[in-house]
Amino acid sequence: MTLATSLNGAEQRRPSRLGRMLEDRLPYLIVAPAIFILLLVGLFPLIYSLVVSFQRITMTDNDTSFVGLLNYAELFRDTRLWASLGHTAIITAVALPLELLIGFLMAQLFIDRLPGRQLFVALLVLPTVISPIVAGATWRLMFDVRFGPIGQILSFFAGEPVRILWTVNPAYVYPAIIICEVWQWSPFMFLLLLAALSNVDQSQLEAAEIDGASYLRVLRAIILPSIAPVIAVACLIRGLDLVRIFDIIWALTEGGPGSMTETISLYTYVQGFSQFEISYTAAISFLVIALLTIITTLVLKRMELAR
Amino acid sequence: MADVKLSGVHKYYGNVHAVRGLDLTIGDGEFAVLVGPSGCGKSTLLRTIAGLEDPDDGTITIGGAVVNDLRPRERNIAMVFQNYALYPYLTVNDNIAFGLRARKTPEIEIRKRVGEAAEMLGIGSLLQRYPRQLSGGQRQRVAIGRAIVRKADLFLFDEPLSNLDAQLRDEMRTEIKRLHHEITTTMIYVTHDQVEAMTLADRIVLLRDGKIEQQGAPLELFEQPRTGFVAGFLGSPSINLIPATLKINGGGAAVVFESGGTMTLPSAKTTSLTSAEGRQVLVGIRPQHFSRAGGGSLRDGVVAYSAVADLIQPTGTRTFTTIKIGGVDVVAELQAHDVSRHGERIDLAIDLNRVVLIDPASGLVIA
Amino acid sequence: MKVGKLPARKVRILGLRYLGATVVTLLFLFPVYWLFMISFKTPDEIYHVPPLWVPAQIQFSNYYVLFKDGDVVAILNSLIVAGVSSGIAIVLGTLCAYSLARFGTGGENLAMWIISQRMIPPIAVVFPIFLLYVHFGMVDGFFGLILLYTAFNLPYVIWMMRGYIVDVPLELEESALVDGLNRWEVIWKVVFPMVRSGLMATSVFTFVFAWNDFLFALVLTRTEVITFPVQLTHYFGGQSNFWGKIAAMSVLGTLPIFVAVSVMQRYLVRGISLGAVKG
Repeated sequence: MTLATSLNGAEQRRPSRLGRMLEDRLPYLIVAPAIFILLLVGLFPLIYSLVVSFQRITMTDNDTSFVGLLNYAELFRDTRLWASLGHTAIITAVALPLELLIGFLMAQLFIDRLPGRQLFVALLVLPTVISPIVAGATWRLMFDVRFGPIGQILSFFAGEPVRILWTVNPAYVYPAIIICEVWQWSPFMFLLLLAALSNVDQSQLEAAEIDGASYLRVLRAIILPSIAPVIAVACLIRGLDLVRIFDIIWALTEGGPGSMTETISLYTYVQGFSQFEISYTAAISFLVIALLTIITTLVLKRMELAR
Repeated sequence: MADVKLSGVHKYYGNVHAVRGLDLTIGDGEFAVLVGPSGCGKSTLLRTIAGLEDPDDGTITIGGAVVNDLRPRERNIAMVFQNYALYPYLTVNDNIAFGLRARKTPEIEIRKRVGEAAEMLGIGSLLQRYPRQLSGGQRQRVAIGRAIVRKADLFLFDEPLSNLDAQLRDEMRTEIKRLHHEITTTMIYVTHDQVEAMTLADRIVLLRDGKIEQQGAPLELFEQPRTGFVAGFLGSPSINLIPATLKINGGGAAVVFESGGTMTLPSAKTTSLTSAEGRQVLVGIRPQHFSRAGGGSLRDGVVAYSAVADLIQPTGTRTFTTIKIGGVDVVAELQAHDVSRHGERIDLAIDLNRVVLIDPASGLVIA
Repeated sequence: MKVGKLPARKVRILGLRYLGATVVTLLFLFPVYWLFMISFKTPDEIYHVPPLWVPAQIQFSNYYVLFKDGDVVAILNSLIVAGVSSGIAIVLGTLCAYSLARFGTGGENLAMWIISQRMIPPIAVVFPIFLLYVHFGMVDGFFGLILLYTAFNLPYVIWMMRGYIVDVPLELEESALVDGLNRWEVIWKVVFPMVRSGLMATSVFTFVFAWNDFLFALVLTRTEVITFPVQLTHYFGGQSNFWGKIAAMSVLGTLPIFVAVSVMQRYLVRGISLGAVKG
């Protein structure tokens, strides 16, 4: 008994005063470093940028006097800016539904039991994890008018030589970009939708089958409502990515021909790093952030409602 | 070994006042069961004793020392959780030894204690397995083993059996009772199951809305409930409550049911009711106090009642029969073969010696 | 699966689905195949009209050139930058996530602010960051890139790990607290082992994000710490004579990702959906 008592005594661990304090403050201590870095690299530049956007700094003129909303007013007269926003909108509006649709169809193919499904899925996700710049480079090789396979395949089906300058011909640059984009990101949609479809309540589907409901009815009444939240999240993630699309276009067309495929990210890059319109670039940045914030908020609101 | 004293303990969760000024003393070596419906504050109270929650007011004393400012690990307590809380990445052996290692107990001592506990619980052959390879009952044993080896001053159980199926639950209940006989450490056990409370407890503490409704030995609560809530909570099937009016005549008293019918109360019940003429009451009769009338004369306090059997639910040993008294559905627990078919007229004897009369407004038992 | 026991109709449907699955997979993998194949071709084969679908033999001269010219240093740079930044982001982010998940530090607002950091388009911050880096002499250095990628990945790590930590039963931690551990030990001995797989998966994704990034690297590197995507764009030109290099460099920059992601297959869905879908 004495042994047990003394052992129990030894088992009591009273931490030092410092240890106690560190433990009490732990929730804040472990949040601090991450928040510090986020503020340093995330928020600080934004504030800096906001200040600059009210000044008039260009490559040649380091004028730090405040000019109010001058830069922002100029945004409205900048036709190239609005054109780039238009290009971004077109790419997003075409690519996003396409990716969703193709992803959904692909998921349909794999939703029922299919031996070896894991392998197929593993292979199909590869495009999605590739660096976008590599994806762009790959398709540049694919599209090449002389040495690429696309022209060769098209010629085979057309029965005559088909020579399309995909990355230069104004009629084909958008299809080229969208093909590459859709190739890379449909598998993303596919993966998410496959997971969502697998989570659809099986008993509901069986009940519908017993009731003799048609596939379209089942799709509308059971499947779509149950995967709607996932679709919303997938569209939000991809939508935000598409709005800031840069790498693929840089690799494929570099915004050309002319500025025909210049998206808002490319335009901002050009203004900032070629023209060195420092203040003006800052203003554009805030326009982009404002637009994205509005879109995201709207989407999130709708998602809340859907829940 | 330690006693536990709570005085004036309050606990809020936001606007919810979970524990409302609670005083409680649990003696050294006692097995106390905190029981009550969900949301009554029993788990909160246990977690407050463990130190996992800080009380907003009041003091908690374990073994004579105020522990309000002590961390859970400094209170020398052991706790068994509802979901076993076993570490899936550790073997059974390492799970049991976890607390001892955390306290830097010598490895030889750890091996000895783990061996003892495993033997006591009959899990010696499972020590090298992982929790996912165990059945629910085995996991619960491991969780208990982890608590035993600590040789703590106080054992806390938070609904440890509620994840087990009925048969295992009975088995583990017996084991926990035996465990308490063997190690005689003070134990505080939380459950919402009145059968567990009745069978395990030295003392039941029945909680309601963050306050103690009544505490005492199991049979004391069962037989002398202080409120209608206590009467209704303990016992299965639960007590029948029939609205009626009191009628006092001479030395005796009777209850008059709303839809007619009168029952004379035994004299022992009437002494406190002399001035209660016309008072509304709920007449509480436990299903166990019904029996088939065997003919001949009735004992004092037992009344005859003739009824039509409505629903009949045999359990094998006993048969629950629904009848009507005073226009209200009432469950009577009869012998297995006392009643055979729906619509059968049966002559019953109702033992009113243990009837409780409840004031419907205050919920208090008045006789 | 015993196909023989299925009714004929089911066998036909299964066959059709296999056919469909194979066609779709080939379609999506063809560009990847093309890329790999070009990297093994000789210049004559690359610039052959019509294009050759299989090289006569697999040879590594395109890779040899990259090693000889020292261009592979870009891969090494990418490894260092992505590896170190992921490591830091994982450690700091997981700790932060623990606080958010268990103590609700900062409430919903802090969590929302953190994920909104993820939503900010890189293009909107890259310019001011560039100006600041120029000011502090951090352009074209490891420190600047690592700091940037750490910050870029932190919201993701915090968001994901918060989800994984929330999934750890609270009772495991409470049991450990009663049994004798302090909070720091609980994080180390209970939470870490419990979220180990999630941690691994999240590390892989942060690594991939940093590895794949082009825009930040384009702006913030010059010559010293060029990462592989930037190096790759150096081979683009009006002339197509760098095709072998493009293909070889792309393959070198893609293989590690393929391997990493294949290993993390089980966590892929949760990882890319920001935790919204738990695969």
